[in-house]
Amino acid sequence: MEQPVVDITDLSRSFGTKDALDHLSFRANDGQVYGLVGANGAGKTTLLKHLLGLLRAQSGSVRVFGLDPVRDPVGVLSRVGYLSEERELPEWMRVDELMAYTQAYHPTWDASYARDLLETFALDPSKKIKELSKGMRAQAGLVAAVAHRPELLILDEPSSGLDAVVRRDILDAIVRTVADDGRTVIFSSHLLDEVERMSDHVTMIHNGRVTLSGALDDVRRGYQRSRVRFVEHFDHPPALDSALAMEGGGRTWSVVHSGSLEQFRHSVLALGGEVVESRDATLEEIFLARAGRNRQQVEVA
Amino acid sequence: MKLRSPIVAILWETWRVTRVEAAWRLVLGIVGGLAVLAVFSAQREVIRDFSAAIALILIVFPHFLGWLSMAKLNSGRPGFPLYLQYTRPVRTAVLVGVPMAYLAATPAAIYLVSALLLRVTSGYPFPLLPVAAWIAALNVVYAATNWSTRNRAIQMLGAMVASGAWVTLANHRLNAEEIQGSYDWPPNLWPTRFDFPLTDYALIGAIALASFGVAVARVARQRHGDAPAALPPTVGFPGFPERLVNLFQFPCPTSSATRAQVWFELKSSGLPVLAIGLLLAILNPLVFAITSPIEFVRPFAIMFAMASVLAVLILGINAFGIRWRQGRAYASAFEATQAYGTARLAGIKVLVRSVCVLPALIAVGLSIWACLSFITVGEAHLRSGLRVIEGAVGALTGYQQVALAVVASIGVAVMVALVAASCALAARYPRRLNIASGLYLLFWVLVLALLALDGHRGIGLLFGPTRWIDAPALVFATVYLSWRAFADRLLSPRSACVVVLVSVAFGAAWVTLLQAAGVQLAGLPMTDVVWMLSPALLPLTASVLAPWSLSRIRHT
Repeated sequence: MEQPVVDITDLSRSFGTKDALDHLSFRANDGQVYGLVGANGAGKTTLLKHLLGLLRAQSGSVRVFGLDPVRDPVGVLSRVGYLSEERELPEWMRVDELMAYTQAYHPTWDASYARDLLETFALDPSKKIKELSKGMRAQAGLVAAVAHRPELLILDEPSSGLDAVVRRDILDAIVRTVADDGRTVIFSSHLLDEVERMSDHVTMIHNGRVTLSGALDDVRRGYQRSRVRFVEHFDHPPALDSALAMEGGGRTWSVVHSGSLEQFRHSVLALGGEVVESRDATLEEIFLARAGRNRQQVEVA
Repeated sequence: MKLRSPIVAILWETWRVTRVEAAWRLVLGIVGGLAVLAVFSAQREVIRDFSAAIALILIVFPHFLGWLSMAKLNSGRPGFPLYLQYTRPVRTAVLVGVPMAYLAATPAAIYLVSALLLRVTSGYPFPLLPVAAWIAALNVVYAATNWSTRNRAIQMLGAMVASGAWVTLANHRLNAEEIQGSYDWPPNLWPTRFDFPLTDYALIGAIALASFGVAVARVARQRHGDAPAALPPTVGFPGFPERLVNLFQFPCPTSSATRAQVWFELKSSGLPVLAIGLLLAILNPLVFAITSPIEFVRPFAIMFAMASVLAVLILGINAFGIRWRQGRAYASAFEATQAYGTARLAGIKVLVRSVCVLPALIAVGLSIWACLSFITVGEAHLRSGLRVIEGAVGALTGYQQVALAVVASIGVAVMVALVAASCALAARYPRRLNIASGLYLLFWVLVLALLALDGHRGIGLLFGPTRWIDAPALVFATVYLSWRAFADRLLSPRSACVVVLVSVAFGAAWVTLLQAAGVQLAGLPMTDVVWMLSPALLPLTASVLAPWSLSRIRHT
């Protein structure tokens, strides 16, 4: 069996009394784009930091390319590109110095690719990092992360600070190129539409646990959003099989549910209602339903 | 918690930031003062009086440094520390006045509590209000100097002028009448010596008002006109001003990671330390030359010289680049995610920093030596001290001088490595552990100080007091860390061989110097021999502690 690029098993990590990761397992294979979604503090960045060896596993195991990133940082980091959420770069460096410095660590550095990207981003190589805006820092960090054509690209909130055009056109293109070359991308994001657009796989993390993980198409197919109408008036959400979240009130409700539509229809029918319309749920709807954010009754206007 | 007004909120924030430092100042003064008084309580009256004078210095000294913890609020960046309050509906005068009043009143109050306690327990008439008032004034000036400008050079100059003026005033008041055969301010004279005239309080009031006015005007400029101060801070790197870093322009080599890392270390911290050392070496003769003709500002030149050495040492210590922000410590994620081994990274950081600190120290030392030899002709006691050192070095044979050079060079590297490791471990481990370590060091320093006061001198003083703790601790720490370093694959057999060779060289040089100092190891009991040779373990300890501690902070 092919060795996964990333193999995390039963990983736990706590900071003081707060469990940041709670027996989390995750695998990533070649040539795929993995999107991590979750609320603030869910544990996405903590998970990514374990991949880089910036955090030591308190329990469980972390393997990247079959190596422990804490015991063998060179073996792992030489094959990884990383863009941090904080865009931490030495402010005194010029952009060309940053490129030269990063190049020295990576014999696989593709100078022409780096130059092309700098031109695409319209980044002046003679400018100091200090003089760059937040978005430009992100762009410089992104070039430094991808120009050695890493086998694993890890992006922590890559869109933060990037404008819509750069985000949509350039970031997507870079990520797609990396994946099409048979390499792996793992990125975290708050922007669910971005995850939906870029990912092949999606993993939802909530309170340090994986609440949902799978190929994006499978995930989306596994959840529907249906509008149901009942004969009877309900003050509270009616109890329906496989319903994860309900909105509405009285006789009309919108329900995000998992499982087969037929089974859900039977469940609605049993309460004297009918499914008026149904469609695949969006990732955002699934996320909100799984995160338990949308269970309250909303009065119909 | 309900904060009822902006003033209470500002006070609360300032208290939260400074409370640990305030506690330290209080504890340091009281414990230190009481310890000195207790140790010498059974001695002759003259010595007891002298111990009371030392106790007075101990309770005054902590307030001589300004508030270090306030720098946490703006991550050590210069300027007004409460800049996040700029967007609050509070007038600038309130924004400045409230913390300034707190930062002036708190040290005065801490001093008063300490002095009262010592007064009650010892019966000595420790001065109260006059000294407290001058402490408050000094802290107001410090606050105004630090908040009014973001130019570090002006800040440092302002602080030096303020503290210099304060020391000069104290010197002038306390030594106004010379007493033959004793220092000029024994405790029986304190009630009169410290009975400052009413004009002092008027002067203190004027200083406070002027400081407040300047600070309000300058902070208002930062608040309204100086856009960068109002922006949220970006994640920066610790260390030196970017202008100083970019003074040295040479390209980053791309041929190997090691060369690139050496370039990074040299540019970001090594060469700036060296440049500052050279600058101080040039400034020292100037300061001596300017102050030499005026007797009452001459101590300022000595203070500047001492501060130069301290500055190079302090700038040279944070070799791992640990940074503090909002009370938390971090290692740079940028460097931590470079594909480079932790042990090699630690080695390069320590070596580059040491290679730059050593010449900086030598330059400053030579400049001070030249100043004392050729400019400060009138300072007889300084010159005699200098002659003793020159005589001791001159009496060394060539072989012993090489040994001295080896011990000094490796000693600087060991110091840089140990302090860098301490910074990393302090950042990595809980505050309780840090406090315990701090208390142990404080205890050690206090014991040394007391023994020195009691007439103990020489190498025995340096290593004697806690020998039953220090030597075994050093041996066990070295063994444990070596085992950990191998277990974590931080050290390879090859690097271990290099470490052993360096340690052997240091050990041989150390033994040579002990012999040059007249220590006959053959005639000493075995325990003393082991204890005296234990410093030879330091290079080995530092060589395993440095990579291990960097590993702990790199992989937290």
